Amino acid sequence: MRTLSIFIFFFLSLSTISFSQTKISGKVLDEKKKGLPGVNVLIKGSYDGSTSKDDGSFEFETDEEGPQVLVFQLMGFKSIEIAIHCEGNAIQIPDQILVEAITEMNAVTISAGAMEASDEKKSVILRPLDIVTTPSAMGDIVGAFQTLPGTSTVGNDGRLFVRGGDASEVGIYIDGIRVGNAYGSTAGNVPTRTRFNPNLFKGTFFSTGGYSAEYGQALSSALALNTKDLSIRSQGDLSIMSVGGGYAHTLSSEKQSLTFSANYFDLKPYQSLVKQNFDWERAPNGWDIELSAQKKLAKGGLWKILARTESGGMEIWQPEPGQESRGQLIRLRNKYSFAQTNWKNAFENGWTLFAGAALSSNFDDIHIDSIRLERKNQLAHGKFTATKDFSDKLSMNTGLEYFNHQFDESLVDLNFSRDYVDHQFYLFTEWDYYLNKNLVFRAGLRAGQSSLNKEQWLDPRASLAYKISESSQVSFAAGSFSQMPVENLRVLNQTLKNTESNHLILNYLLQREGITFRAEGFYKGYENLVVFEGYPQPPQNPTNLGKGYAQGVDIFFRDRKSIKNTDYWITYSFVDSKRQFDQFQSEVQPSFAPKHNFSVVAKHFILDLKSQFGISFSMNDGYPYHNPNDGEEMSSKTESFQSLSFSWSYLPKPNLIIHFGVNNVLGRENVFGYRFAQQANSQGVFESIPSGQVAPRFLFLGIFLTLSKDKNANQLNNL
Amino acid sequence: MKKLILTFALSFLWISLSMASDPAFEKAMKKQIVAMDQIANAEQSKEVANGFLRIAEAKSEEWLPLYYAGLIHIEAAFRFDVNKDQYLDQALEYIDKAEKLAPANSEVTALKGYAIMGKISLDPASRGQNLSPQAMQLFGKAINLDRENPRALYLMAQMEYGMAQFFGSGTDKACGMVRLSLEQFEKEESIITEDYILPKWGKRSAQQMMNNCN
Repeated sequence: MRTLSIFIFFFLSLSTISFSQTKISGKVLDEKKKGLPGVNVLIKGSYDGSTSKDDGSFEFETDEEGPQVLVFQLMGFKSIEIAIHCEGNAIQIPDQILVEAITEMNAVTISAGAMEASDEKKSVILRPLDIVTTPSAMGDIVGAFQTLPGTSTVGNDGRLFVRGGDASEVGIYIDGIRVGNAYGSTAGNVPTRTRFNPNLFKGTFFSTGGYSAEYGQALSSALALNTKDLSIRSQGDLSIMSVGGGYAHTLSSEKQSLTFSANYFDLKPYQSLVKQNFDWERAPNGWDIELSAQKKLAKGGLWKILARTESGGMEIWQPEPGQESRGQLIRLRNKYSFAQTNWKNAFENGWTLFAGAALSSNFDDIHIDSIRLERKNQLAHGKFTATKDFSDKLSMNTGLEYFNHQFDESLVDLNFSRDYVDHQFYLFTEWDYYLNKNLVFRAGLRAGQSSLNKEQWLDPRASLAYKISESSQVSFAAGSFSQMPVENLRVLNQTLKNTESNHLILNYLLQREGITFRAEGFYKGYENLVVFEGYPQPPQNPTNLGKGYAQGVDIFFRDRKSIKNTDYWITYSFVDSKRQFDQFQSEVQPSFAPKHNFSVVAKHFILDLKSQFGISFSMNDGYPYHNPNDGEEMSSKTESFQSLSFSWSYLPKPNLIIHFGVNNVLGRENVFGYRFAQQANSQGVFESIPSGQVAPRFLFLGIFLTLSKDKNANQLNNL
Repeated sequence: MKKLILTFALSFLWISLSMASDPAFEKAMKKQIVAMDQIANAEQSKEVANGFLRIAEAKSEEWLPLYYAGLIHIEAAFRFDVNKDQYLDQALEYIDKAEKLAPANSEVTALKGYAIMGKISLDPASRGQNLSPQAMQLFGKAINLDRENPRALYLMAQMEYGMAQFFGSGTDKACGMVRLSLEQFEKEESIITEDYILPKWGKRSAQQMMNNCN
């Protein structure tokens, strides 16, 4: 019984002992010794505390006694804790200095070469929605990027050309995993598009040079597309277009979502209505089915799957210079499959792990008159990365990659075929160090090895960024980049080495509320480019003896606030590039690298009409081409390229969008180059045919309807 | 015997301790809630939010102080000249913490939707498409969790009203919902006592919206 009474006594005494109050006062300062207001000053484990005033001073009383911990907290600053002893006498705390934490919100980011489209981050150039609504893009991701600095439009190709580099020099990645044959197969000057729908992605990262050691096998540019996370509602999306139609169905719950889609397109009905410049035997047509799934895992982490298969083709008559006939009949059938899966988890201890794998498989069946050519290209990529924030100043990104590349081409009727298989291993590591929130250094190293040519190589890269003021910064980047030659050359000479480029980039970026100004200067040196004998079709004896350079400046200005409901951007890129490559004996300006490139995109929203109107204009000073009637290589130039596009998106209801677009509204007859006869005619002249546009204009009409058994909506109606 | 009594007494004490409301907590909360209604500028908003954060720090198992810290940040973003995106992000951080302590709580879910509504309002053209369905889903979920939560109903009504205005369709549905929310606000008022520390805000705004409906 005594034990109990002692216990009760002890317990009661705890709550009845009255403490004397201790007055605590002091001052909180920032790093510049200025008073810091709004700091939460508190005694750990109690409700006692106060907020610092304008001059940083604070004062409060506490009932706590004995040794205590005094905590100073403020959003964006590192908290500090100090030990105090409360015994009833007033305590004057010495001045405390709070250090600003380096966070994603306030720290400088490396912007050399980089252009990001994201809803989540700051210092982005575009929003994901901008990609879909750029008039000249017609819903193609790459089409939208062609209005950004550092790129040039090559209208009879459609792919992305960056700073004097050819289209193969742009590496395309989905969730960090390389995509093989990301563009649709095409023939005879018919421009292609990206295979992937922009709606799959929540953000994109486009770099025109000096990019991270995480990306390899790309000499000029990296385009990283990041897929969406969990879909938040179940819905069906129906699209009816002037060139086809499709349906996508999404099933969603809190932990997982799944989208299945199927599309069909055929340009035949359209081409029978609208005049074409090209001589079609069979208009482009095709279908695709796609599955994407996302799942939140029990232990945190997100698991994603994206799988797609498609088939398409076209048949076209290609006129031959100096001949009266319809020319060559080219028939193309393509089959393509892509599957990838990846897992990512950010652990509480600062480590983030990522593992992913993908397989791209492309098959082209090409008939050129009576010659039948089959090409198989298969790329498998596995990747594992670990990133770690050691502190708010130091972080690391390290990874391991494996590529398996198989290529096979055969002339079916001649029983002739050739192929290669290459295994590549990569190891990369990259370290970011923030000296303070205004200055960051990045150093990276990428090591690679190829089984086919027995080559081993090392690509060092480095960059830094410095914040000059709240809204402006400069960055500098330098690095080496390696890339294996394209498949059809590599298969001819399997000992071909990596082609190489070295980048130097200086960037200035100014971002204020609604305004972005970006200027960048660059120099890019090329080594070991592939040159061959003969003509591009077919090349002979390729070797790594070419070289070249590209240098220039590009400027970008975007304004979303000066004119109400209007958003516009203006881009000018100057590229001076010469290279010895392909069949050229000397260093020449490549056909895909016009010197002066200019574009404007403007979008205006009219609320009363529930409509967004868009207009875009692109021009350059003309494409160089080689005229065999003129002795010098690549000494001729086409007329200036100019194209004006218009689009109108109308939203009559929340779930219905009607989109109308016209490319090349003015119907300008753009020429991208000339094809010359291989033999001179009887007068000793090489005859030619211009490579022009498929049609004077392209018109598009689409109706996009979202059908949603929206549970919210239903539930609202039931209330 | 002694041992038995001791065990009994101890367990009794334990039960009474854990069952009993925590008067110090309630007192501290009430003080901040009273102060919250008096906020007139960004500094005061910071002070009161800090008060709630001190309680959250000391009572790390309570969702309510984090809820209020989140609410104050959202309201500050709407009312005062502050870095609005930063305030809303901070609010979302507090709300996520509150959500961990009180999963499937209608009030916390509705507040998260409110913060996202704030994010949309800062850049509707580019954020609307992505975030509007998210906000709607959260309000829907909040209503599902508690059909008598007047704030969830009111916020959903606001969202519906905005959409109806944009698309020029009728506001009947939105107005119907705000009427429902006002009914629930009345019901809630009847149970509010002096010791009530759960969320009770929103009636005035709902009434204002109702005025636009009539």
